[in-house]
Amino acid sequence: MSGATNREAVFPTRQSLGIMKSKLKGAQTGHDLLKRKSEALTKRFREITRRIDEAKRKMGRVMQIAAFSLAEVTYAVGGDIGYQVQESAKSARFRVRTKQENVSGVFLPAFESYTTEGNNDFGLTGLGKGGQQVQRCRETYARAVETLVELASLQTAFVILDEVIKVVNRRVNAIEHVIIPRTENTIKYINSELDELDREEFFRLKKVQNKKQRDTAIQDAEMRAKREDAEKRDKDKENEETGGGGDILGDDEDADVIF
Amino acid sequence: MEGLFFNANNGYIEGIVRGYRNGLLTSNNYNNLVQCETIDDLKLQLGPAYGDFLASLPPNPSTSTLAAKTTDKLISEFRYVRANAVGSLAKFMDYLTYGYMIDNVALLITGTLHERDTRELLDRCHPLGWFETMPVLCVATNIEELYNSVLIETPLAPYFKGSLSHQDLDELNIEIVRNTLYKNYLEDFHNFVNTDSEMAGTPTAEVMTEILEFEADRRAINITLNSFGTELSKADRKKLYPAFGRLYPEGSFMLSRADDIEGVRLAVEGVNDYKTYFDQAGMGQSSGPGNMSGGSGSDGKSLEDLFYQKEMEISKGAFTRQFTFAIVYAWVKLREQEIRNITWIAECIAQNQKERIGNYISVF
Repeated sequence: MSGATNREAVFPTRQSLGIMKSKLKGAQTGHDLLKRKSEALTKRFREITRRIDEAKRKMGRVMQIAAFSLAEVTYAVGGDIGYQVQESAKSARFRVRTKQENVSGVFLPAFESYTTEGNNDFGLTGLGKGGQQVQRCRETYARAVETLVELASLQTAFVILDEVIKVVNRRVNAIEHVIIPRTENTIKYINSELDELDREEFFRLKKVQNKKQRDTAIQDAEMRAKREDAEKRDKDKENEETGGGGDILGDDEDADVIF
Repeated sequence: MEGLFFNANNGYIEGIVRGYRNGLLTSNNYNNLVQCETIDDLKLQLGPAYGDFLASLPPNPSTSTLAAKTTDKLISEFRYVRANAVGSLAKFMDYLTYGYMIDNVALLITGTLHERDTRELLDRCHPLGWFETMPVLCVATNIEELYNSVLIETPLAPYFKGSLSHQDLDELNIEIVRNTLYKNYLEDFHNFVNTDSEMAGTPTAEVMTEILEFEADRRAINITLNSFGTELSKADRKKLYPAFGRLYPEGSFMLSRADDIEGVRLAVEGVNDYKTYFDQAGMGQSSGPGNMSGGSGSDGKSLEDLFYQKEMEISKGAFTRQFTFAIVYAWVKLREQEIRNITWIAECIAQNQKERIGNYISVF
């Protein structure tokens, strides 16, 4: 968790610190909400799983009975009626409509089956023999299809919920393990950076102060020197006036005299 | 007297058919069959009776292929008998196949009506009802053509004539067409066995009349029961009742006016056998009609079961007579029931529904 890698690319300013702080707050609220949503969905999911289990068991039983009633038809009619039934069926008797159900913001399609009454296309199949078996078989299969429809809507809900739960959990985890730490890191970084700046500033100020002090010291020294100088000159003037002209044998060189 | 020259023409056939009858499964065999755990066991148990026909089946065959193979045996035996038959017996056997032809023709008509490729339907046709001109039916593309040029050529033409026009084929439900044909067929068959010079007054006429009368009554009762709650009107229903049988004419008339099961029960009151069946099946009281009331596992037999039982008993009885063609008919019916029984047992084994496995009908 080196601060440099796991943080956002922001300039460490007080403004971005403010932004980051509100972002962290937002992330935490969002995390709570999403967590709650995920829990609600998971609850629903568990319920659906349970119902799928029941529906599948029921389907097993119903399909078995249905297959057996078909065997009864074969026994009673003594032949294949499949083609005849296929050809005489004109309009669907068993229909399915869909509606939507809202579970914490997720739309789950629910299939609902209904039968249109008075629509019995192959009512006369097996008129000579086995008609009752055919009708009974049809009823059993209608029940089987009903179970299938129920199972289908559960399965669809299952798939959709599964997907949604995955997404939500991913978001929750992303917020919990990536966004919040990163924002926190950024805040930490900005804070440390700001402290650093503060310290630098302080140091700089100190330096400036030092320099200024030094400068004043030098100026003072110069002033003093000047003053001293001036005083000295005043003294020399007095000496000249008392001591008379320059030193002849002194430093002044006489021009060479050439004869 | 009638038996004096019977063997000259038909003795061989009679011997063969009686031999076939002895090859039918007995209740002992059935007891073994119902104890099978898998279809393979079943196949093994059927080995002695069906031998070659089941040999080509893969391990654990489906019940439908099993049924198809067992039917194949019936077909090949039937064809053998038919090939050896002469004279009236040949004609009698042709009559026997007309029933299956009606089913096939109905199937093809359905295909034509819905403008399907009827060629693929030929595979689905019952092989016993195969006739030479049947593939020609596939040539027709519309119903008028079918009626005017193709159906006329089939052996079933007389049954269409007079009772069904080509508009009827288009408008009527195919089931009504089929049952109309079947009614005409039964009447014709009945007429044939009672008037043909070789058969009139012989045991054949006697036995066949009994069988056909029963068949006619069974159809009448079934049609009535199955038509409740459908769009079939009473007048149309009346047209589907064969004009002979033990119920004809009073019973048929009452059947045509029946509104519910109770009405049917009153209509058959006059014939003791049927009355007993209705009482046994508990009809007209609470439970619905129909075979083995779906899944409830009632041990009481249903009306259809009782009818099948009766048919089998009549067929068995036919073998007690000598010098009669009826044994061919009886043998075919017995063999069909046997195939149904095998299929039923196989289904029960395949679907693990052992508690209903005893619902087969065995008369030997």
